[in-house]
Amino acid sequence: MSSDAPRTACLLIPNLPLVAELRAHPELGGEPLAVASGPGPRAELIAVSAKAARRGVLGQTSVAHARAVCAELIVRVASPALETAARAALLDAALGVSPRATEAPRSAGAFAAEAAVYLDASGVDALFHSEAGFAAALCARAQRLGLPGNVAIASSRQVARIAARRLSGPGETFLLAPGREAAFLAPLPIDILDPEDALAEQLTRFGVYTVSGLLALPRRALRSRLGPEAMRLVELAQGRETSAPLPAPSSARLLEAIDLEFPIDRLEPLTFVIQGLLSRLLARLEARHLACGNLTLTLQRKDGARDARWIGAAAPTLDLRVLVRLVCHALESHPPQAAVEGVSLETEGRPIQSDQLDLFRPAGPAPAELGRTLAELEALCGDGRIGSPRIADHHHPDAFRMAPFQPGTPHTPRQSPGPLAGSLAIRALRPPLDASVRVCHGLPEHVRSAIANGRVIQLAGPWRTTGSWWSPEDHFAFDSFDVQTADGTVARLRFDHLRKNWKIDAVYD
Amino acid sequence: MRDLGPQLRRGGTPAEPTARLATGIPEIDRLLGGGFPRGRLSEIAGTASSGRTSLALALLARSTGAGEVTAVVDCADAFDPGSAHSAGVLLDRVLWVRTPRTPQALHCAERLLEAHGFALVLLDLAIPDLRCVPATALRLARRAASSGTALVVLTATRALGTAAEVAIELAPARSHFTGTPALLEGLDVQVNLVRHRNAPGPRTATVRLRATQAA
Repeated sequence: MSSDAPRTACLLIPNLPLVAELRAHPELGGEPLAVASGPGPRAELIAVSAKAARRGVLGQTSVAHARAVCAELIVRVASPALETAARAALLDAALGVSPRATEAPRSAGAFAAEAAVYLDASGVDALFHSEAGFAAALCARAQRLGLPGNVAIASSRQVARIAARRLSGPGETFLLAPGREAAFLAPLPIDILDPEDALAEQLTRFGVYTVSGLLALPRRALRSRLGPEAMRLVELAQGRETSAPLPAPSSARLLEAIDLEFPIDRLEPLTFVIQGLLSRLLARLEARHLACGNLTLTLQRKDGARDARWIGAAAPTLDLRVLVRLVCHALESHPPQAAVEGVSLETEGRPIQSDQLDLFRPAGPAPAELGRTLAELEALCGDGRIGSPRIADHHHPDAFRMAPFQPGTPHTPRQSPGPLAGSLAIRALRPPLDASVRVCHGLPEHVRSAIANGRVIQLAGPWRTTGSWWSPEDHFAFDSFDVQTADGTVARLRFDHLRKNWKIDAVYD
Repeated sequence: MRDLGPQLRRGGTPAEPTARLATGIPEIDRLLGGGFPRGRLSEIAGTASSGRTSLALALLARSTGAGEVTAVVDCADAFDPGSAHSAGVLLDRVLWVRTPRTPQALHCAERLLEAHGFALVLLDLAIPDLRCVPATALRLARRAASSGTALVVLTATRALGTAAEVAIELAPARSHFTGTPALLEGLDVQVNLVRHRNAPGPRTATVRLRATQAA
């Protein structure tokens, strides 16, 4: 088999509504299950599980009829959210083994329930030893995401899809050697090439029912009589690729969603639902060799409002426990105001950090382990309470800011502690403590507070600090004193000119 | 045998000398035999203005200055980035974990020790009414031993008992306000070594902590 020939694989799921439902509710796997087009007994069944089919339930019948045939039948209403997520997951399975993949156009009619992706299968021998190995790996990856599908590999997308449709059960693979497309398609009905309705009618009128019949017609006459659409069919029948090259997706935004059967108004069952969403999201990320970054949780409330929350992750992680805790923290701090009837989780996949030791720097924590630790600590302590401290560009004595902790940044180690060793440090009090101060000639004479008490023995100051005068909320004006009280404490005392009160904002320690 | 006297000692492999993390303050390093031990739990106890925060920042400065990664688990929410920067701490190599409660702080410290690679984890528990179960302290000590991290705990009064390999108590001795108008020049603190397996020499020292411009 020539490795130069462009090859395309098609991963196909014939029964997407059913697979999407089972992906979200794997516990229904062994049950007689059917998916209906809507609620109510008159709704039509659009997908039926194998067990239900064995019990005599047929597709395209009403729910009432199906229940009459099989009393134990479990009927679920088709969920667009689940199907969208399943289609996206199918693409993720493909992107896990090939850099270029795209979702196949949706079919109509008898193939309306199928979902398919095309992916580049050129030159896969080097990685998977053979195309058969590649197809098996793709099947296994899709299976791990709860998407049992078929894989066919051919020289064009359409032929690969047709070949995949002809496979009987999930997990089957088919390889069509280059140049064998025409022979493969020849006995098949012309409708398999999906011609436009008008052209299909014309071909039927001409007595052309099979692909071989189409290929037997003279090209020039076909073009002049039936136009370019007929020539496109001929190219398809010959196995030529007529579409643009497969794209490599630039974004890694992943979305998992679910429409709930009943509205949920308590946090515990909602957390359970979100845990399922997260586990599916993480499986997709893992399939693409990515980790979960920041999350956007959107709750569709019963009162019609949408409740969207941004949940920051300190570092990319694939730890389900940590992410569940982060989401729980966000929900507990701001519980939804009404019952929830739909949940979606969206994230931007981020590359998994690799370990790279530095020759000129002491080994720090491994990036992957550090990422897990940071995410877990943030879940424990709350948003914005984990990071690297920074001095804020502000005159307020309490100002500081937090920056993401990235110890991997190279720097030049300082060899000696310098003259700073033994410098007196400040211990901040957040929030500043109230102090009751007796003043004599404008200077504090006696202090009573939770940390420093007694007569002021020694004193330095005042130093006036003002700022943000243009903002009524942030305006500050302090007179600060360094005082030593009789109990031995050396503290920084400040008088707030705006609020007319005394506070201790730091202790020299 | 009788003449051998002090030359006799219990059999077994002699313990390897413990690596130490120096503070850069000569009096304290001399007191501790080179600094705080790595892979061990150490305790610094002291009241307000006893110099415990200055000592902790000196450790951070020394460790980050050598390019090591450190963490501050701040149960008291008392870490001041400006003061740390003035003390020579490289802030980008410090992970600051601001935990509101003691159990969370202990859990965070344990998790950081499990992550391996942090040269120093500073656990600030200098809060009133500290409740630290001895079993927790022992578990932290074991985690520190397995990770090789120097775990230094700041407390208001001694709370870790025998779980700490090294424990020092600090107390304010004298403050220095000088000049006209007066300025806080420094603080003398009394350092008392209360627990050390192999105390090399004296067990007390007095240290002068000098106020910097930013402090």
